Amino acid sequence: MTHAFIDLQPPVIAANDLSKSYTFHKQQAGLGGAIRSLVRRTYETRLAVDKISFTINRGEVVGLLGPNGAGKTTTLKMLSGLLYVTSGELEVLGFTPSDRKHDYLRRIALVMGQKTMLWWDVPAMESLLLHKEMYGLTTKEFESNVAELAELLEVQDLLNVQVRKVSLGERMKLELMAALVHGPEILFLDEPTIGLDVVAKARVRTFLAEVNRLRGTTILVTSHDMDDIEALCSRVMIIDHGRLQYDGSLEQLVHTARPRKLVRATYATNVDGGRLAKLEGVTAVDSADQTIKLEVDRERAGDVLEQLTRIGPLVDLDVADADIEEIMRDLFQRRSTLGDA
Amino acid sequence: MDTVVRNLRVLRRMTAAQIVQQSIYRGAWIIFMAANICVPIISLLIWRTAIANGAQLPIDDRYVTSYFVVLSFVTMATSSWLTGFLANDIRLGKLSSWMVRPASLLLTFVANNVAEKFLKLFALVPMIGVLWWIFRDSMNLPAGPDRWAVFAVSLVLGAILVFTIDILIASLAFWMDDVTALAQARVLIASVLSGAVVPLALMPDWSRGFVDNQPFRYTVSFPVEIVAGGLSGQELLVGLGIQAAYVFVFGILARLVWAVGIRAYSAVGA
Repeated sequence: MTHAFIDLQPPVIAANDLSKSYTFHKQQAGLGGAIRSLVRRTYETRLAVDKISFTINRGEVVGLLGPNGAGKTTTLKMLSGLLYVTSGELEVLGFTPSDRKHDYLRRIALVMGQKTMLWWDVPAMESLLLHKEMYGLTTKEFESNVAELAELLEVQDLLNVQVRKVSLGERMKLELMAALVHGPEILFLDEPTIGLDVVAKARVRTFLAEVNRLRGTTILVTSHDMDDIEALCSRVMIIDHGRLQYDGSLEQLVHTARPRKLVRATYATNVDGGRLAKLEGVTAVDSADQTIKLEVDRERAGDVLEQLTRIGPLVDLDVADADIEEIMRDLFQRRSTLGDA
Repeated sequence: MDTVVRNLRVLRRMTAAQIVQQSIYRGAWIIFMAANICVPIISLLIWRTAIANGAQLPIDDRYVTSYFVVLSFVTMATSSWLTGFLANDIRLGKLSSWMVRPASLLLTFVANNVAEKFLKLFALVPMIGVLWWIFRDSMNLPAGPDRWAVFAVSLVLGAILVFTIDILIASLAFWMDDVTALAQARVLIASVLSGAVVPLALMPDWSRGFVDNQPFRYTVSFPVEIVAGGLSGQELLVGLGIQAAYVFVFGILARLVWAVGIRAYSAVGA
């Protein structure tokens, strides 16, 4: 978790009743539908983001979560100036993003896990040199930034290799480098670890945490990988059906959604955990041979742990919060409202 | 002013990178240029044969020869191929990665055009050199530098005009699912009305007013006519004026359509 540089300055991002709708034409399947659509088309408007309001302070790392089609990427696109808002107010670093003013664009960066900023047929250094001109960096600034980022990302040997010849994980590192070479104040990340192996994912997460710590960069990230969110974000916003369903700490989310601890006790011999179900605060017991698994209210966890030591010769004890991945799955399936945003 | 200087610096860097990138495909340029020169050569041979067999045409074989030899260079110099690529970028959301960076979105296409033309010259110039050597005694090429200077200006204006028309058509992809049909229709119409297949001097008299003043003439035929002969000083000045006016009008139109279209951009995909 990263908490660096959070201060009491005005927020760098302020959204008020932000909405975005798309209009598209619907076509019935089959040849008949295709022919009918030649003559008459039915248009439909879909509200992708529905009056969401939030602020983000300088230096925060915020995770934007939600199932596919929830509106999180649309939100990110509005924040980065790619899309005009349909209604509501949006200010980022004091600018209206969709104006795409030069002074705004040079202070932000957007990395999309499924789209590339780099030219494929030439080495990444060509793209970096292009960014030097685009962002008006001096040679000294450029060289210093490239050296720092290359060291953090361990890509010194890749800068002069054709981009299409590097692996996906290496390419993502180079994408991040290209996005950060001008020292943006805000970094928007859309699925930055998608398709990467566990080692590459871990490296990217560590790097982003370092960027936030060293440079105070505000980071807003969407990801379906809960490990990304746990490793990086002190705060999460959950969007579903275009609405902001939750805005707060990840820890609070876990406590709200799953107020119980998961306990797993392993014994040297077979034990009977049946009687534990009668204890106050215990809601689920799964006992088999030498292992007992149970869910227990946080306040009663101490008492229950004490009881577990009396059942038999304990060899291992594991106490954990519910798996965040599981919590998200439940939340998205139930489409529940988690409380006031 | 700062913006112009910055964009020029970006353009210089982009063009350099594009040349690095495109030089990988050197074989493709030779094939492209061989194909590019084929149509003028075939047309040249057909028309020369027709004249040799007594066809009564309003132009002589020296004009025909000069026209098609110069045409083989002009079609390359004023051509642009951004419609399909730009429309695709709009439709598939690929524009996004450029939109979040502080430089004109079209610079990459300008750089691509300039870089490709630079590289194509290496393949095309020797081919045109051979053509010139074969037909050197049958051409009306101007001796003084004045006409060549006007030709150069007209060539640049023609290239800008084609580029602007391309942007205009590609920008319709902000609203249309596919602009391929429109782009193809434009290529077909332009190939006839620009004089790339048949010299406009051979068009029927009744169509003269339209043919001489429609915009496609100023993308290919007009620069060729400057060198191949047949234009008086006054016709040349009027022609340049009309060409500049078309550049201005299509430029404004493309900018307007682009500005409205970008508001409709849906940045498809992640």
